[in-house]
Amino acid sequence: MRRIPVFDYLNCVSCSICAQACPVSALGMKKEGKSGKYRNVFPELVNDRCIGCSSCLRACPMDVIIMKEVDGD
Amino acid sequence: MNSFAGKILHVDLGSGKTAILSVPEEVYQAVLSGKGLEAWYLYNHIPAGADPLGPDNILAFACGALCGTGAFLTGRWTVACKSPLTGGWGDANCGGLFAPAVKQCGFDAIFFSGIAEKPVYLFCDGKTVELRDASKYWGMDAVETEKVLHEDLDPLCRKKPCIACIGPAGEKLSLIAGISNEGGRMAARSGVGAVMGSKRLKAVVLAGALPMRCADPDKVKTISKELGRKLLKMTLPSGLGVFIGFGGRMMGHLPYMPMDGSLTAYMFREWGTPANTPLAITSGDGPLKNWAGTPQDVRRMDVAYNPEHINKIETAKYHCYSCPLGCGGKLNIRGRKYVEFDETHKPEYETIEAFGPLLMNWSLDSIFQLNELLNRAGMDSISAGNTVAWAIECFENGILTKEQTDGLELKWGNTEAILKLVEKMIDREGFGDAVADGVKRASELFGGREYAMHIGGQEPGMHDARNDPQLGVHFVAEPAPGKHTVGMGIEYGAMSLSDICSWAPPAKLHPKKDDLEDTETLAWITKANACYTMLTDGAGGCYYGQMMGVHMWKLVEYLNAAEGWDYDGDHYMEIGERIQTLRQLFNIKQGIDPASVKLPKRMLGEPPLPSGPLKGVTLDKNRAQVSSHWRAFGWDGKTGVPLDETIERLGINRLTEVDAV
Repeated sequence: MRRIPVFDYLNCVSCSICAQACPVSALGMKKEGKSGKYRNVFPELVNDRCIGCSSCLRACPMDVIIMKEVDGD
Repeated sequence: MNSFAGKILHVDLGSGKTAILSVPEEVYQAVLSGKGLEAWYLYNHIPAGADPLGPDNILAFACGALCGTGAFLTGRWTVACKSPLTGGWGDANCGGLFAPAVKQCGFDAIFFSGIAEKPVYLFCDGKTVELRDASKYWGMDAVETEKVLHEDLDPLCRKKPCIACIGPAGEKLSLIAGISNEGGRMAARSGVGAVMGSKRLKAVVLAGALPMRCADPDKVKTISKELGRKLLKMTLPSGLGVFIGFGGRMMGHLPYMPMDGSLTAYMFREWGTPANTPLAITSGDGPLKNWAGTPQDVRRMDVAYNPEHINKIETAKYHCYSCPLGCGGKLNIRGRKYVEFDETHKPEYETIEAFGPLLMNWSLDSIFQLNELLNRAGMDSISAGNTVAWAIECFENGILTKEQTDGLELKWGNTEAILKLVEKMIDREGFGDAVADGVKRASELFGGREYAMHIGGQEPGMHDARNDPQLGVHFVAEPAPGKHTVGMGIEYGAMSLSDICSWAPPAKLHPKKDDLEDTETLAWITKANACYTMLTDGAGGCYYGQMMGVHMWKLVEYLNAAEGWDYDGDHYMEIGERIQTLRQLFNIKQGIDPASVKLPKRMLGEPPLPSGPLKGVTLDKNRAQVSSHWRAFGWDGKTGVPLDETIERLGINRLTEVDAV
């Protein structure tokens, strides 16, 4: 089992603080979506680089990240 | 534990030696980080009379105190040096991701002195600090440089690097060159790119992942969450952009204009800064036809520059680090007239106005092309636009001939000629080479000084002091003259500084003409503007955070929470005052005579405009207002030199005695 971040995009403000806090660049502002009526970009776990350190969770000012356990190393 | 990294990096490009130095705590207490830390270090370490393009000049990159704490709108990085444009203090700032990257390498600032023998770039990842050969990248534009550096370095780095670099304008020492990051977003002003080019420093590559500290992260989060939740709800209905020009017309004819900080958030979320363009065209705020035109000269141009046209081709918004507002955007410009690129950043209103109404150019498509050209070259669009405007007016009046302009028909609104001239300026080819160092140098070479709009050597930002006497004071009294970012009447009304500062006069409504505000009151308003802006710069804050007002963007609360301090607004405003006084002392040390810096006659209303919202306006009181502004700071009212008792009161003597070790 390993832990990865999961995002509540409805309350995300796209500030990229989580992505920059990630020590291994496993998060990128790549996910396209909408914030209300505005087209915007959101954090996305771009690859399997995540080390489950929770740096993103601790950094997020909006508290829109939870860590979820998933299968795998 | 506070938010400062506590260390700076000094790189001597001449010897290749690097030194990691500790900064005494009292320095952070006195000036924070960001521009404050730079002012302290550069004042102490750049010798009097240093050649701006020589080895003694020091180029600084700094993040602010609040960067990395979770505070919103604190992702600005500031570059500072002795400016080759003005001979005095120079600085420029930018968003993107570079600011936290400085702190994640373990530093509050990085300083470069000396000149490298061959092109180099700095690589730092928090463990390694290396100067590396940059010959491969020299000659590439700013976007390509970043792209190729990422291709070369990303596979080798645990954390993706953040990169600041120069393009060809900086390499070729254009005195209006800036420094770029994130694909052409630029710290543009003061000629900072020329200084980087003179040092043969192509790029700064930062890949650190050190944690960033904060005294009370929960408290900071509480403040941020309140702002973030508010902003998520702030949405305007689509299609309102067409009415902005009409709103500007109303503003232009009203003596006072009410303004609330939340309007900033609504407008910038909906359109970004291009919302300002139609407003500027019709209200008298934005310069037209090289600062000599009236809205009648550009009738319906507010419709041509309706920001809805830009929204239609925006593929996605983007945000700087720590910004919940998101005024940036990517545009799909493929296949449009004059355009050779597929994509560009949403142009800032400064670029739109400098190459639109300032030149009587009606083509928004050409602005997209110019925006991308200048971003890639690393050339300041404000300075370049003012220079092209001068060239056109000289040509129209016979001061420049076709022989001198390499055959270019530099007429108002000649889009093709404007594009060609900018390309030649970037390439430093023929006539373009002669004018690539800004309007002051160009007018010294060719004449037409009466058409050369500069203040102390630097071209002014796209706001007209005739519309705002506060701005007229800042344009002149700011140690980096001509910058529009230090204060404006419209902003003072929005910021509500009197709610955090005991001596800041209450904002009534926006005073449009200088006879609506007495000189002494105006002096304390402009002092408050300047102190708060310096405080913001020390914190690494964004001016659009400022413009939302102190009740939305809570800078004082943020600083207390992040640093574990318990200071009031007056204490923080004194930090801003100290930073501004250090910058002024830097200028005095470098031989600048503040009293010699003046507004161009045209901006003083000599001759007055014949029609429009600025009809008949003159700024007769500007000198007296500048003098009062200096006195409010505790500087000599005639010379602008900070008085001994002011230096003592602010503890600057003590500050200049301590050094990083």
